[in-house]
Amino acid sequence: MKKVMRKAMRKHRIVVLFAALGIFIGLPVAAHHSGVTYFDVEAEIVQHDATVVEYVIVNPHGRLVYTFTDEAGNEQEWSGELASANNLRRRGLGGEVFKPGDKLVTVTGSPSRSGANFMRLTRVDFENGDVAQLTGANAGITRAGE
Amino acid sequence: MHSRRIMLALAWILLSGTAAGQADFEGIWTPDHPRGMGQPAADTVQLTPAGQAEYEVFTPDRDPTLRCLMPGIPLGLVDPYPIEIVYQDHQILLLYEHFHQVRRIFMDGRTAPDHWLPSLGGYSTGEWDGDTLIITTTLLSPDNNMWTSGFPFSGDENTYVVERWSRDEDRLSFTGEVHDPTYYEEPYVVNGRWDYAPDGEIWEYECIPEFGGIE
Repeated sequence: MKKVMRKAMRKHRIVVLFAALGIFIGLPVAAHHSGVTYFDVEAEIVQHDATVVEYVIVNPHGRLVYTFTDEAGNEQEWSGELASANNLRRRGLGGEVFKPGDKLVTVTGSPSRSGANFMRLTRVDFENGDVAQLTGANAGITRAGE
Repeated sequence: MHSRRIMLALAWILLSGTAAGQADFEGIWTPDHPRGMGQPAADTVQLTPAGQAEYEVFTPDRDPTLRCLMPGIPLGLVDPYPIEIVYQDHQILLLYEHFHQVRRIFMDGRTAPDHWLPSLGGYSTGEWDGDTLIITTTLLSPDNNMWTSGFPFSGDENTYVVERWSRDEDRLSFTGEVHDPTYYEEPYVVNGRWDYAPDGEIWEYECIPEFGGIE
């Protein structure tokens, strides 16, 4: 896997406490679900040089499908879970944000606990410098130079 | 005598037939629930042995909303999408964007009819205590059995929820007291609040279970 980096985030005591209570930290504002149940929110994956396959804006969760080439030279297809369609659109992250073939410098998120090629996306950096922040109170698109 | 009866009838309609009670909650409201408010605080919850057993077997696939099953009550009390509140003569309507949930709060003194089946939203009646709207919801469903954090809800015949809604200028606050003696030693309380949004919008919320996010 090309430049796949997985690092344990510092375990703040409060995060551990909330995780023990099953409360998701840093989830999209309107999520109802306990994200720690499905994703290892204390870990982070950063994947490089990805290409968008499909951007699906639906409820209860949107989905970004993309490919990248791993360290062994094999193309991998991954899916990233997103906020709901309604929340994505309200945050300016509608269908125009990702198009098939778009080149992504980095795709960042929290891995699925199942081990599947699936993660909760937190941020995407585009080739042109745009940044899509996908979780938290600052979710939205920041254009290059802004 | 005849005109007096007409006047009394009109007065009765105006005074008792309208749900527009002591406080005006009508309009669109956007959620402003502090993080975590939708779940019972763990240190306030006392599970019964049956409740503890349910809590320990919780798995993600039991999260009803990921299967596009509307949250219902009590899970949907603290809802993360806008709502619209409409007063009608005999009821107050709570119209949720999330899953198109509609709650009818009957304000005319009726009680649940015998044929009413348990359901996700239950059967809600309301009354005013000054400017506070008190909603009591019964006939809840075991299908709405889980908080997404794993706290169980039995939805049996002994469960009911009492909400208290009040307005302070452009903020609408509520508490929901959840009674579930099968799974909890004592009732627990969840809290939520909404901000008035006169320019707010209620959007379509279609839901596709295949995108529930469990992989």
